[in-house]
Amino acid sequence: MKAVGKYITVLRISLQNAFVYRSNVLGGFVFYIMFMFVFFNLWRAIYKSGEVAGYSLVQMVWYLCMTELIMFGCRTGVFFQMNEDVKSGSIAYQLNRPYHYVLYQFFNALGGMIFNLLLYGLMAIVIGMIMVGPIPGFSFSTLPYSLISIVLGMCINFFFLMALGLTAFRLEDNTAFYLIYQKLVFMLGMFIPVEFLPGWLQTITRYLPFSYMTWAPARLIVAFSWELFWAVVPVQLLWLTVSFVLTMGMYRYGVAGIQAHGG
Amino acid sequence: MNAIYVENLSKVYRTRIKEEGLQASFKALVKPVYKEVQAVNDISFTVEQGEILAFIGPNGAGKSTTIKMLTGILHPTSGRVSVLGLDPVRQRRELSYRIGTVFGQKSQLWFHLPPIDSFVLLGAIYDVDKKTLNKRIAELTELFELGELLQTPVRKLSLGQRIRCEVAASLLHEPDILFLDEPTIGLDVVIKQSIRQLILRMNRERGTTIFLTSHDTGDVERICKRAIIIDQGRIILDQPVKRLKYDYLNRKIIAVRFEFPQHLEVPEGVKLEKSTDISARLSVDTRICSIDGVMRWLIAQGGVADITVEDPPMEEVIASIFQQKEGKSQ
Repeated sequence: MKAVGKYITVLRISLQNAFVYRSNVLGGFVFYIMFMFVFFNLWRAIYKSGEVAGYSLVQMVWYLCMTELIMFGCRTGVFFQMNEDVKSGSIAYQLNRPYHYVLYQFFNALGGMIFNLLLYGLMAIVIGMIMVGPIPGFSFSTLPYSLISIVLGMCINFFFLMALGLTAFRLEDNTAFYLIYQKLVFMLGMFIPVEFLPGWLQTITRYLPFSYMTWAPARLIVAFSWELFWAVVPVQLLWLTVSFVLTMGMYRYGVAGIQAHGG
Repeated sequence: MNAIYVENLSKVYRTRIKEEGLQASFKALVKPVYKEVQAVNDISFTVEQGEILAFIGPNGAGKSTTIKMLTGILHPTSGRVSVLGLDPVRQRRELSYRIGTVFGQKSQLWFHLPPIDSFVLLGAIYDVDKKTLNKRIAELTELFELGELLQTPVRKLSLGQRIRCEVAASLLHEPDILFLDEPTIGLDVVIKQSIRQLILRMNRERGTTIFLTSHDTGDVERICKRAIIIDQGRIILDQPVKRLKYDYLNRKIIAVRFEFPQHLEVPEGVKLEKSTDISARLSVDTRICSIDGVMRWLIAQGGVADITVEDPPMEEVIASIFQQKEGKSQ
């Protein structure tokens, strides 16, 4: 019980920190609005009438609102923070503490993620309502289930980012990983729904984790069905396990050969 | 019992080297060339419980690398380390409950929050129960004169105030050994002195073993009983500070400025290192004449406008150690 309490305190302090460090969020708001504005106009031009690959304009805009929400929600900077900690040597403080470093980082980021989810969530609703109005057929009774999927998506993204970030323990420059990862997340679900991709790419995408961070939860929000829920949530759980195990493995490998700089 | 036991410890870093130019960049991509850097080279020493040890040397001598190996962050390339009877690499978590660390150039406090929040967090991490933690915070607040600093966001603290909070934060779980890596770096003389006094009190009142790295000879003289001097990864000297003081830290630098031109006839034991009409830089051998005597003599010359007394820099001390060693072997 004590061991759990430790991480709850980490979460509480990081949440407190998120509230104090608000300027970060304001900057994010501007980008969020800009992004939504550009794509709203783009999609409005593309959609003369009807729907594309099963998405109406209203659904398309809400889809983007949600994928953006997930990505902005994950903006805790874990990847760059870890890079920075290794380069500056602050990692020395974080490693010799009686906790598990990976769990510490997770609960540390969780405060920011909860905070972001609330703020950007509110923002997503306001923007969606202003741009296109409510989603036809949306039911509040299924919202909690979609939320589970959103949280799962965020956690999968977090652990993959952390696994990549942990390469900083051994590599001098690992930002290429981040850039490639970010592009894949963007193309395979965040920017356009998986249904828009060519058939062969859709097949590949189904076997990759990226669409389960963005496409799955966003699709559940704009067109909920129990069939879809049971098709995607177990796969999300599987990817969460994979990303967590990968992160733990990367940590064990990284910490054994860490090159701590900074004097 | 030994608090720290180190035998034939070495650490070799492997860093990539890249020559200049685009072609070299491509070559490095295909076939990277590594250079080995021997940060710590076959050192052995022990530290007894309750001892205050200074581990000193110029920048890049291997001080921090050694601390990082003693605390289990870096894995040694070869050699044996035992801290409080534990193996820092394999029993890092167990050891972490019993040691505290302060890295003067880094912060363990949350930048946007007041220190009290970081204290509560650290208390939870080290499994200190609430009642004990509050008692500890109250004690440390009094000892370190933290007062309202506890409620001030860290970003608004001065460096000296922050370091006081940093040291206090490392003591919340009552560690048996406190590792201090350059705790006084960048601080002014008064704050330096107060940090030194705090460290001494911790040692006296709780019997905390102190392992201190520094490149400030003042730190060593004023708090430590024993000093190990390390240069380029090797121990070049391990002896009581008393002897070190007599053999090597036997000089003070006095810089003086006069209101009108002066011609100085220096007494024995004082060397005129640099001088102009109205200023001089004197090196005083404290074995031959006391600072007090030199000051009196200077005042007697009349017209003193400004005077400062400094310790010789670490680099000079090390140079003189090498000089004396070479002198002996010849």
